[in-house]
Amino acid sequence: MTEALLDPLAQDETGIAELASESIVILDPQGRIGYWNPAAERLFGWPAQAVRGSDIASLSPADDDTRIWSQLLQEGAWEGRIRRRTRNGGIRPAEVRRHVRYDKAGTPRNVVEYARPAPDARPGEMAEGPVPDRLMAASWEIDVTPAAEILARIARCSGRADQARLGDLHRSLVETARIVEVNERTARLVGGNRGRALMAGQSVAAFWPVASRTILAELIVDALDTGEGRSRRSLASDGILRDPLVTVWRAGADRPGRLFITVNGAADDDRSYPFLRASEARYRKLVHYMPVALWQVDASHMGKIYAELRSRGVTDFAHYLDDHPALVELAATSVPVTDVNRSAIELIGGADVQDLIRPVGYLFAESPDSLRRVMIGRFSGRKNYSELMKIRTLDGRVLDVRFSVTYPEPLLELDTTIFSLEDVTERLRMETQLRQLQADFSHAARISTLGELTSSIAHEVNQPLAAIMTNAETSLRWLAREEPDIGKVAQLTARIAASARRADDIVRRIRGMAIKQAPEPVPLALNEVVQESLLFVHHEIETQAIRVTTAYARGLPPVVGDRIQVQQVIVNLLINAVQAVEGLDEAEREILIATATNAAGAVVLTLRDRGPGIAPDHLDRIFDGFFTTKAQGMGIGLAICQSIVAAHGGTVSASNHPGGGAEFRVALPPARPVA
Amino acid sequence: MPTVAIVDDDEAVREALGDLLMVSGFACRCFESAADFLDARETRHFDCLVTDIRMPGMSGIDLIERLRDDGGALPVVVLSSVLDETTRAHALALGARAWLAKPVTDERLLGALSAAIGNAGPDARR
Repeated sequence: MTEALLDPLAQDETGIAELASESIVILDPQGRIGYWNPAAERLFGWPAQAVRGSDIASLSPADDDTRIWSQLLQEGAWEGRIRRRTRNGGIRPAEVRRHVRYDKAGTPRNVVEYARPAPDARPGEMAEGPVPDRLMAASWEIDVTPAAEILARIARCSGRADQARLGDLHRSLVETARIVEVNERTARLVGGNRGRALMAGQSVAAFWPVASRTILAELIVDALDTGEGRSRRSLASDGILRDPLVTVWRAGADRPGRLFITVNGAADDDRSYPFLRASEARYRKLVHYMPVALWQVDASHMGKIYAELRSRGVTDFAHYLDDHPALVELAATSVPVTDVNRSAIELIGGADVQDLIRPVGYLFAESPDSLRRVMIGRFSGRKNYSELMKIRTLDGRVLDVRFSVTYPEPLLELDTTIFSLEDVTERLRMETQLRQLQADFSHAARISTLGELTSSIAHEVNQPLAAIMTNAETSLRWLAREEPDIGKVAQLTARIAASARRADDIVRRIRGMAIKQAPEPVPLALNEVVQESLLFVHHEIETQAIRVTTAYARGLPPVVGDRIQVQQVIVNLLINAVQAVEGLDEAEREILIATATNAAGAVVLTLRDRGPGIAPDHLDRIFDGFFTTKAQGMGIGLAICQSIVAAHGGTVSASNHPGGGAEFRVALPPARPVA
Repeated sequence: MPTVAIVDDDEAVREALGDLLMVSGFACRCFESAADFLDARETRHFDCLVTDIRMPGMSGIDLIERLRDDGGALPVVVLSSVLDETTRAHALALGARAWLAKPVTDERLLGALSAAIGNAGPDARR
């Protein structure tokens, strides 16, 4: 390192010196500070910006340096002990080595000073201990040249009582002032994730906490006005620093419009920065390797727009976006992604981070409305928001993802919004497949149920067909007579039409059960569905002289479900009940049906027969697939009933009624009223 | 004019059969149930019975059995949509003259009726 520093042509010497643990200061032959490395910042407390351009002698308590300086220039090197003022008013003894570097002509070019804390520092020499890293000032160099006009207006305003106007001017001063450079600590404290380099050139207001902007503006004005060129003020703790002390002073005459700001104060979290850095490194590593795809975005600009809209009285943001769709477009093109993790790169099919670090619009290309909803969520002050949406990957695939956003806390305008995306394409595919299987299975069960009803169905359809055929042939006979009886024919034709309609109704009902179709959830009146289901077993009930007693509750809330599937459940239970009472004495052949709501608000159908009931050791297994006590049955009826009811968010249970017979209860959740 | 009794629980079927038989030269009485028919038979003479099988209350098979037990001279034609071969064989074994499946053409029905009445035993003319 020493060699590099001594090479007058080395361009990156300061780059290397930045990393040194030893304090390194480069001075010009007059003793003015040109470079001041981070170790020097730590040792003496002064941030580089604050001391650059100053005479090193101004940091010495006595005229030590003046004396040493002439000796140094004569001899080309000097080594010894010095004392130096620290930023917080103390004196720091240090052991230094200084070397003069010469140009080709042999004239002194500059002086390099290496310093380390004196190991034997006496307590008296140490007004305060070394500045811990966490107490290191956050420093800024700013440029107020662009705000010359504003400063002039502030000057004209001063002394007048127009506080509101002055307040406005102060705010615009902070907004117009540009950041030239900040140190690492400033970037860490307020830079979000942007880092020092990205802060340079930005408005001071983009990073300076809102609450103390007026104070900063006043300090700037004071520093520019006073002869001393420096002003200082304590601030209220702001959630970042405890008891911060802000000092502003103007740079030398060679740099007009430039000011230095230092902010002292312990971080509220008073673990030391090395600890924080390690913790942050662990956190970053954790985030980086997390199996969830994460995007960090900087929506601070939109946050300001929202604040502005709110202050203008906008409350119905959805409506506002309808009128101003360009705002969604603005968010898509202007909210930058600032960081992503490895899973995000994999998910989106990018080659590296840079593919993803651009405005967020690419995430919403397939689902533009999602971005709109994300914005509405933020505006309405939600902490987070989540939905299923589609994204298009960089290699052109379309994925189903669970998109979640965590909005920033409204503490500061500096904010970080986190998006997480989980690929659910496969899960959705499996779910679809499962639904398909369930639909196939319940369809198969319906066909099997219809199979049990075949002879009834044949009978039911044949009755109207028989009537139609006979009536038609009778009509022909009437017409074939010498004097056709048109009146009789008209009567028969009307009967034919009525029977045809009846046959059509029956076929329609059976076709509903027989065809395979995707379940279609609609609001259903359960009483109505029970009545429809009874039609399927009407013939069985009639021919076996079964008494059906119904007690329909009035004013039941609707349930949401697929009409055919709910019918299927009830028909199945009815067939079981019919079979249970088959062969009993006529007085015992009774099925009782009741509908009601239960305490939990569910709509409940109770179906009881007066048959022999369910054997106690079968009660637990009755809904298992392929469990049957019937010689002809496959044992899927009740299993299907249960899976259908469960898919509708309900429950089905079986018990033996104390008065005899089996009792089945189907409870379905009521439809939610439309908000 | 031969008198035919029709037993069917379906009103549309009863009406259609009644009209057909009348226009074809039969006298005809329709009954909604087997029990109603048996009541009427106490006081009336019938030359033939056309009955359905599946009905609430007494079924067609029960009715044929009952008629056989009573002497079995009334010719019976079954008109049903029951497809079950066992039931069909049972009905024929009990003495039913014909088993016709619904829906039936007028020719087949009238043919079966004529055949049944023509072959009627002594009971038919009592």
